[in-house]
Amino acid sequence: MRLLPLTVVAVLAAMVSACQTGAPKADSIRLFAWSEYVPQSVIDGFTAETGIEVSYETYSSNEEMLSKLVSGAQRYDLIQPSDYTVQALIREDALLPIDWARVPNFANIGAQYKNLPHDPEQRYSVPWMSGSVGIVVDTDKVREPVRGYADVFQEKHRGRIVVVDDSREIVSWAMATLGRGPNEVTPQILAEVRPVLERWLPLVKVYDSDSPKTALLNGDVDLGIVWSGEAAILHEEDPKFRYVLPVEGAHRFLDTLAIPKDAPNPHGAMKFLDYVLRPEVSAKISEEFPYTNPNLEARKLLSAEQLANPASYPPGDPQLVGFLDIGPAAVDIDKLITNLKAAG
Amino acid sequence: MPAAAWLAAAPLFAWLALFVAAPALIILAYSFAQRGTLGGVVWEFTIANYAAALDPTYLRVLLRSVVMAGATAMLCLIAGYPVALYMGRAPQRWRGTLLMLVMVPFWTSFLIRTYAWLTILKSEGALNGVLLAIGIIDAPVAMLYTPGAVLLGLVYTFLPFMILPLYTSIEALEEPMLEAASDLGAGPWRTLRKVILPLTMPGIVAGSLFVFVPALGLFAVNDILGGGTVDMIGNVIENQFKGGARNWPFGAALSVLMMAVFGVAMAAASRSSRLRGLSP
Repeated sequence: MRLLPLTVVAVLAAMVSACQTGAPKADSIRLFAWSEYVPQSVIDGFTAETGIEVSYETYSSNEEMLSKLVSGAQRYDLIQPSDYTVQALIREDALLPIDWARVPNFANIGAQYKNLPHDPEQRYSVPWMSGSVGIVVDTDKVREPVRGYADVFQEKHRGRIVVVDDSREIVSWAMATLGRGPNEVTPQILAEVRPVLERWLPLVKVYDSDSPKTALLNGDVDLGIVWSGEAAILHEEDPKFRYVLPVEGAHRFLDTLAIPKDAPNPHGAMKFLDYVLRPEVSAKISEEFPYTNPNLEARKLLSAEQLANPASYPPGDPQLVGFLDIGPAAVDIDKLITNLKAAG
Repeated sequence: MPAAAWLAAAPLFAWLALFVAAPALIILAYSFAQRGTLGGVVWEFTIANYAAALDPTYLRVLLRSVVMAGATAMLCLIAGYPVALYMGRAPQRWRGTLLMLVMVPFWTSFLIRTYAWLTILKSEGALNGVLLAIGIIDAPVAMLYTPGAVLLGLVYTFLPFMILPLYTSIEALEEPMLEAASDLGAGPWRTLRKVILPLTMPGIVAGSLFVFVPALGLFAVNDILGGGTVDMIGNVIENQFKGGARNWPFGAALSVLMMAVFGVAMAAASRSSRLRGLSP
């Protein structure tokens, strides 16, 4: 027990020093972004050119980011919310309008990625990467064609399926098989969806949002419903992994960069935005994280092989709908999935 | 207590107030508030969170968690007692080394050790490879992403928490007690059952609590080794803060419910010790 006071002192000292390093430097920005989404080389390149230091903190879900933002424990200059989260943040007046005069490279973004429903006036967000959620199949082990959700969730695939661990995603797939769009969440539709999910969920072997490709690469499962970027990496590793957009209807997600209203260094943040929108910088991001790049000038710099990866650039460049903020209905979805999982 | 004693205990009380009582009170306060749009809470009193938490869905998850944590404590006790007995009865000069060996796993991050199990248990992993090579099985057995894998991970994680208090109480056994048992004609088995086990009951109770309490709320092991199919109450609570629902007050209410289970377990433990007259 004599060690206890010493431990207390050590912990307190560590906390104090952590607070001190947390103080913003004169020219620095604080970036709060998804893990595995911003290449270190891009951050280093920005610092080398502008002298602005970047501290990069990561999160693994939009809600985790919101939790920290709402708590006010730390102020950030840049955050990386997905479409529906941008919408919720705009609704709560939590974002700073971007001064487009300071971000001329925004012109490189394709028109189809601007003025979308989550930011209709295009005032608050810069598209980062887009992607879809779709089916990936290990064609060595699954011979018959798999075209949609209904083909995946078959009794013969029991214990061979990985899906992202995201309640809203899972519910949206079942809604698609009933001909519903992903944003029409009402108690009545959830009641319709329930029997479908009751059949589906017991067939699932793994729920994993962080790295669903792992279970496929390890040979633990043969099919998955995953983020397109994960499927693109699988396809690069081994072409036996095929990506399919579900026939019942797929949706896309669009991740963005945005500046919180209380950002300490918004000018530094806008410099960063302009920097990452340069074609050659944006192409570097694509190389490391092969999602769909909304920066059309950057796409011109990608190799034919990258552009031919069907998970990154689905044939025909289909324009899919995105998730919108559904407010308190998210609570009902969470309860439905918890209930079905607990029953299994 | 005299003033000097109060003064000496002050850091401990400050610690408890700051890091145990204050967070618990914040959680309690949150559990009666309403959900904020972006997360966080809106300070309007409601008991709706408790009404929702008492839904059979969540009680079933809580029950499963209690069963899993209880099984973990039981398996740790069965696996840990012989180890602690051996350590506690080993020659004095070896005990330090043995104790050190129990602590060695803590030198590596708990998450990394859990991921290591992933590579051992996966279909094309080390364990299946060995079993196939020596011909015990003909095809890989699906071990990963099952309740068994989660239980294995939990036992592995918490075994030292069981061994250490057991070791302390076994080491404190007085030699004359054991000699007396032997002189009065008790064989080794009888000595263990009638003398050693009752005398080490405080260690058994403490070890079981040290395992049960943290195992109940853990979510990382279930996520990694259970693949999200063996959700325990910790996962459901985590989801209220990091998942799409953004429902902090409800997560807080579930946490309070979990703390109530801890309270019951603690009360049962202290009652069982008191009945045996082993602790004040």
